This record gives sequence, structure tokens and C-alpha cells, in this order.
Amino acid sequence: MIVAASLRALGRRRGRTALALAGIAVSAALLLDMTMLASGLTRSFGDLLGVSGYALRVTPKGILPFDSEAGIPGGDAVGERIARVPGVKSVAPVLGAQFRVVRGDSAGPPLFTMGIRPGAQFLYRLVEGSEPGPGEVVVSEPMSRLDGIRVGSTLQLAGGAGVSLGRRDARTVRVSGVGDFLYDYAEQRSLAMPIGQVQRATGRPGEVSLFGVAAADGVDGDDLARRIAAAVPEVSTLSTRELMREMDRRLLYFRQLATILGSIAMVVTALLISTIVTIGVRERFGEIATLRAIGVARGRILLAVVTEGLVLAAAGCVAGLPLGLWMARRLDRILLSFPGIPARMTFFAWEAERVALAMGLVIAIGGLAGCIPGLAAVRSPLSQALREEAE
Amino acid sequence: MTDEPGRVIEARGIIKEYPYQGDAVRALRGVDVDVSAGEMVAVVGPSGCGKSSLLNVLAGIDPPTRGTVRLLGDDLYGLDEGARSRLRLRRVGFIFQRFHLLAVLSAAENVELPMAEAGVPKRERRDRARELLDYVGLGHRTAHRPPHLSGGEQQRVAIARALANRPEVIFADEPTGELDRRTGAEIIDLFARLNRQGTTLVVVTHDAKVAESAPRVVEMADGLVVGSGVRP
Repeated sequence: MIVAASLRALGRRRGRTALALAGIAVSAALLLDMTMLASGLTRSFGDLLGVSGYALRVTPKGILPFDSEAGIPGGDAVGERIARVPGVKSVAPVLGAQFRVVRGDSAGPPLFTMGIRPGAQFLYRLVEGSEPGPGEVVVSEPMSRLDGIRVGSTLQLAGGAGVSLGRRDARTVRVSGVGDFLYDYAEQRSLAMPIGQVQRATGRPGEVSLFGVAAADGVDGDDLARRIAAAVPEVSTLSTRELMREMDRRLLYFRQLATILGSIAMVVTALLISTIVTIGVRERFGEIATLRAIGVARGRILLAVVTEGLVLAAAGCVAGLPLGLWMARRLDRILLSFPGIPARMTFFAWEAERVALAMGLVIAIGGLAGCIPGLAAVRSPLSQALREEAE
Repeated sequence: MTDEPGRVIEARGIIKEYPYQGDAVRALRGVDVDVSAGEMVAVVGPSGCGKSSLLNVLAGIDPPTRGTVRLLGDDLYGLDEGARSRLRLRRVGFIFQRFHLLAVLSAAENVELPMAEAGVPKRERRDRARELLDYVGLGHRTAHRPPHLSGGEQQRVAIARALANRPEVIFADEPTGELDRRTGAEIIDLFARLNRQGTTLVVVTHDAKVAESAPRVVEMADGLVVGSGVRP
């Protein structure tokens, strides 16, 4: 009954309680977003790496995928050695390059072009047409849509070096398909063509930028990475976990930002709840002193006050959850518009445990914030409190 | 100190000092008081003479600086805080000048509250709250909240609350201090009725009417009991 009375007291000043709740909801939403941001990009990156089934990356020694233009010389032979490692299901070589579409005398902007093995690639999913054969390319969906390129269209492509030298030795290719390129940023124009074609056009015979490696069923990615590293020591083999760890390291500033903003949100939540409960307790100082005088245990009074804090925090969470999700969607859209961020990634990962953690933190803060005025109320000298109220 | 049968309160050598600006202000200077079961005692005296301080000490609200109090057979300040709270909850009733009802609870809920804290089952406390509100003449206002009751009505609810756990002794601190003369008289009548039915009452007051209604008066001045008499 005493707890119910305490909660009803919150309803006594509806406007004030509503304003406090709005503040707590905003803080809870911010904390939720920062919790989602802290791990969102890394987790999303991990999901993206695994989506194609090629969970391992083999790169030039000490280089992360596409971190530099360094390549693996003698790539075909290296690929065969990797394929022979027990537990390897498939090896997909990739050579990155830049091509331009030539129209008349002018060349378009550089297009990220990937040389792939059509039967074993992990960079795109065909949405239309077929895998590229000799003299053919697959274009990304935005390129098809924005430039009006269809399956069967022909393009004049020139390699980066040829264009820069002004020779523009363009060659004609046919579009065999349109692909959904998994790692492209929004509206990115990309091409994929057989790797031999890219090697010849760029003057990098036999070179590979990286390999994607698919593990056989039941084979642990980290174990396989170690076996490949032992068998082919002149390259770096990275499991999804290692790549995520590296991503985590690179995104340290995001986590720091999330930690700082999250901490601020927690402090604001604590201040809001503490303030509103303190005001409520001060207004009921006489009532509380009377309750103590008539023999209600201190613990019961403290429980009632702490419950106020908990209920305020929980109600703030209920309101803050949809607000936080809405804010996350808006912020995600803004952040994903930064160049170079794959459109399939997300900065804010919905993880039930993390959301529960954030909401649990807010509620715990509510309880703690309620403790401060609660303890003050039950620890004040009783006779003095009664005297003050009588005056 | 003896523990005489029928003795509800036995206070000896009560000294109460309050710290004030680095010094100690002595509110009680060695007070001895005995109250027997079924008595109604009015503690009177000018403002600041130590009446309320004495009441707080006797009721287990404020420990004395020196001296001992036996309340209902227990060495009051030999008990820990929790035991003292339980004693106040289950065996003692309190009535305050400003009523101090919980504004968010109805009259009936205010009366039920001490019973709920004492673990009385819901149905039993609901029935008893209704009975008590009938007893104080507020059976028709059980659902009203304190802000919708007059001062006299609020004090009646406070009296019903004080009676909730069937206390053996009731302490009242200026119970008519906030009431007009007519309403005050009604409260005095209620106290007299309670006393006739066997409840022990200790009432601190500067209201002459309350003092006149009490069979025994303890007069205080300057932190001391300066007179005590039983009305014939």
C-alpha cells in the first residue's frame, strides 16, 4: 500500500512527471543508440563477411583486403596451394582495378572493377542475366539503373593506366548480367569480369589482390586460417573473427564516442530521476516523517521511494525504446551516406541482449537515483522532521 | 526502575539536549513521568517548555540524552530502531497537529495503511477501517481523499488511523491545534470516549479545553515537570 501510495504521488503532478518522463525517454533513447552503435558496425561487418559463405580472406602479407594496391604475385599457384589445404571447400580469387567507360572522346569516372572467377566468387549475387564469360562484364544494380545499362548492352572500357596516358585503348565488352554487389556503398557503380581479362588489361598477369576462402561444412574458420597460414606462409590469412577484431580496432573512435555519449545519457537520466524524486520526497517530507513515527519500517519507506525511481526509469524506457529505434534509423541513413561505407552495413545493430542491457542500465540508474532522496528521507532525524513540519 | 503492573509508561531522569550552533540546548532537564493503563494525561505548559520533546521521548521517536523510558514493559531505548518501529506500529497510536494523512490515499486507505504494514489481511483491514471510520463519524466519507475533507474530518481520519492496530496507548501532539473551537470540542469528546473505553492517552496541548477534559494534568515549564494533578 505504501508503494502504491508512492506511485500515486507521481500522478499528483502530472505535468511535471510527464516532462521528467520525456527527458528520461530521450536519455534512454540516446543510451540505446550508443549501445547499438558501440558494436553495430563491427557486428554488421561480420554478418556481411559471412553472407557469401566465403568467411576467410587471404591477402598479401600484412595487408588487409583492399587496404593498398599490393597484390599476390603468382596468384594462380597460390590459389591452388590454398585449395589443397584440408577443410577448404572453395577458393575465389579477386583482382581489384579501376576501369572507365569511354563514350566517344570522353572517359567517365573511374569504376571499381573486380576480376573474379565466375564459378567461384563472393562479391555479388546475380539479379539478372548470367555470369560473365570472356569479353563480358556484370554491372552493379545502381550502374544499370542510373546509366540505363541492360543485359546485352555493350560498353567501351578502358583500363586506368591507358586513360591516364591518353591512349584510351578501349575494348568493347558485353553486359552479361546485373549483380547485387554485397560490399558496395549506396549507388556505387561497379563492374566484375573474369580475372584473366582484368590481369591482361592492367598488365598484372597472374596477380591476385586477395582470395576469399570458403570452409567445408563443420570446419572451424580460425582452425582453417591457421592451417592455410602454415601451408602458404607468404600471405596473410584472416578469419572473420580476426577481420572483425581489426575492424573493431579501427572503429575504436566510434566506441569511444558511444561510450562518452552513453555515459552522458546515463548521468542525465540519473540527474533527472534523482531531481524529480527528490522534489516529490521534499513535498511529502511530513507524510514520510509521519509514516516513520507511526512505525513504518525505514526499509519499506526506502523501497517506496526507490520504486518511484524504478517506475520512472521503466516508463522512460518504454517511451525511449521506439524513440531510440527511430533515431537509430535516421542516424544510420546519415552515416551510411558517408563515402566508402557498404550500403548493406548498419551502424546500429539490434541485439536483444544489448538493448536489454541498455534498458536494464536505465532502470538500475532509476533505482540508484531513487536511493539518494530515499536515504535522505529515512535518515533525517525523525523528531526534527516532525518539528519542521509542524512549524 | 520497577516494572509495576498496569504501568504503561515509566520515565526516569529524562534529559534531552539538542545541538544548536555548536552548543547544546537543554529541552528536558530531568523529567520523571509515570502513566498507568487507562489514564488520560494532558501535558500542558507554555510554548517551548519541552512538551513535544517529552512526548517524542516517551513515544520512542527521539532518544533522550540521558534517562530511561519503559513503554509497555519494554526498555524503549534498549531496543534497536527496528524493534522500536515495530512497537510503535503495533502497540502505539499517534495523532499529530497537522494530521499528516497521505493525500493520495482515501480516508479508508489511510486507516488501512498501519494495518497493511503490520501484516493484517486485506479483508480484515478493510472491514476494520470501515468500522473505525464509523466510530469517528466518517462512515459516509470513506472514499474521500484528505484534500476533500475538512480539518476536523482529517483529524478524525488520523484518529481512526491511530486506532487501526488496536494500540494500548495513544500519543497526541496538539491534536486540536489546527481546528476551530467547535471541531476541537468534537475531537475532545472523541478522546474522552476512547479513554472511557480503556485506551491510555497522553495528549500534549496548550488548549485549555483539552486539558480540562483530561482526568490528569502534567504541567511543564522550562524543561521540568512543575506540577501534576488528578482531577477529582
